[in-house]
Amino acid sequence: MKPPLIVLEERQRAADAPSVPFRHLATLWVQITGTWCNLECAHCINASGPDSPWLPPLDGESVRRAIREAEGLGVKEIYFTGGEPFLHREILPLLEEALAVAPTTVLTNGTAITPPVADALAALAAAASYSLEIRVSLDDVDREANDRVRGRGAWAKAVQAIQRLHGRGLLPIVTATEIGPAGGGVGLYGQFRDFLRDLGVEKPRVKIMPVFALGRLAADTGERLDEDSLAGFDTSVLQCSDTRVVAYGGVFACPILAGLDGARLSTGSLEASFRPASLYHPACVTCHRTGMTCRNG
Amino acid sequence: MSGESPMEAGTEYRRIAVMGGVYSNWAALGATLEDAQRRDVDAVFCLGDMGGFGPHPDRVFPLLRDGGVHCIQGNYDQSLASGRTDCGCGYTDPRDNHYALVSYQYTFRNTSTENKAWLGSLPAHRRVKLGPYRLLTCHGSPRVVNEFLWESSTPNGLIQSFLDTHDTDVILCTHTGIKWHRPLARDRHLVNVGVIGRPENDGAPRVWYTLLTADAGLEVEFVPLAYDHEGLARAMDAEGLPLEFAETIRTGWWTTCLENLPARERSRGRF
Repeated sequence: MKPPLIVLEERQRAADAPSVPFRHLATLWVQITGTWCNLECAHCINASGPDSPWLPPLDGESVRRAIREAEGLGVKEIYFTGGEPFLHREILPLLEEALAVAPTTVLTNGTAITPPVADALAALAAAASYSLEIRVSLDDVDREANDRVRGRGAWAKAVQAIQRLHGRGLLPIVTATEIGPAGGGVGLYGQFRDFLRDLGVEKPRVKIMPVFALGRLAADTGERLDEDSLAGFDTSVLQCSDTRVVAYGGVFACPILAGLDGARLSTGSLEASFRPASLYHPACVTCHRTGMTCRNG
Repeated sequence: MSGESPMEAGTEYRRIAVMGGVYSNWAALGATLEDAQRRDVDAVFCLGDMGGFGPHPDRVFPLLRDGGVHCIQGNYDQSLASGRTDCGCGYTDPRDNHYALVSYQYTFRNTSTENKAWLGSLPAHRRVKLGPYRLLTCHGSPRVVNEFLWESSTPNGLIQSFLDTHDTDVILCTHTGIKWHRPLARDRHLVNVGVIGRPENDGAPRVWYTLLTADAGLEVEFVPLAYDHEGLARAMDAEGLPLEFAETIRTGWWTTCLENLPARERSRGRF
């Protein structure tokens, strides 16, 4: 729980910052396990971990309610994230319910993709009307470099998950951040593609994300967006213009800022959050600069 | 909705041909127009992206204009007309963006000022009457010109919201490069008409356009079209376009710009 003074300060910053008009609900994110995770990655954007998550998980009924409301609002795609979504006891039935409404993606560190879970995911994908996407996080093709960031044994489990999913005809998207020594850009994409081909994955899919100065890497550089930075800028490219996140405590502007008071747009319904989102946070500078999106493509 | 033409005044069609993504493929365009005429269509529509990918982009414009094709703008057309430095295709992977840029720069250099201006004059949408059906044509989606509406990633709820918002019975779109049709309750439909500019990642070099007929109900027929694809591929080689593009024309498998495909569509291709 944050001290009231910090909460007030964050709300004031949000009120003073420029904002992005809401266009439509393209993407619903569900922060299903809050910040509860079995890993404790050095660069985690929301400082997820196994002990005392600062953002609690959602109960199944809250998730079902959000999916139902999003369907009525014409949502295009649904994402499950955390924390580690596969720690949630209802993850598989909730994925099935989401897939009945829209294409659905789940972000995972891969550690809980056991053979029975992989079988269940393959069955869900085969039965669903829409695509099931599984994003497996791996930050470096090198075992030691990856495990320095994600923890001992994380590389082996993620690679095993990729192989298990691939073996069942699924095409996981391997997601990396630009934290490793290879840096980002074309080189990193190529490196991961080659790595996956060497694993026998003939249709490698890769997504690279920038590193954000928040969560465990929080460092306030003092950088903020202002009205001048938005002059001539197309704010429709920012995901907060068409994305909302349901997490414990309300509906938030984007997955990066889920759970933060300045990004909370509603404590009730999804539709009540359809109002401008404030670009108050240093992380907004990264989205503005890189044009990044947390979506698959 | 900006850039929308009014309902084509007083015109009610019975059968129309609709194509998407010409991608400078003049050979397929010529074959499409001939084939559509043989099938006794009242009018031919093109849902944009006249250039890109293929060679000699200026060759498609006389065919479109002389053929009386009713065109709307795609994202490529918007970019060319407004002098943008990229195609606005919406890719994220640097490899995809590399090929997209090669294609765009070639097309920009080889499209005349007059044709760019013509692209700039096209509407973003058209409303068409086909028998009792009200049709809305768009490039990507009714709301965003470069939005991808793949079969496996377009929920019924989204289609219904488009139909309600735009007060129409049928939405026709393209942009993804793969055709599909989904009928919904109350005889409402979304049809992605496919593209004629390149094959649809199924291992065959033919391309597809769509016939829509208002009869007892709405008939949607996807028409396969063989054309001189080898001649086009040779022209691509001669122009120095990437070998991967000509390979797609020859084999029917997509070799580039794969990252935006959802898992289900991606799994059907070779790469």
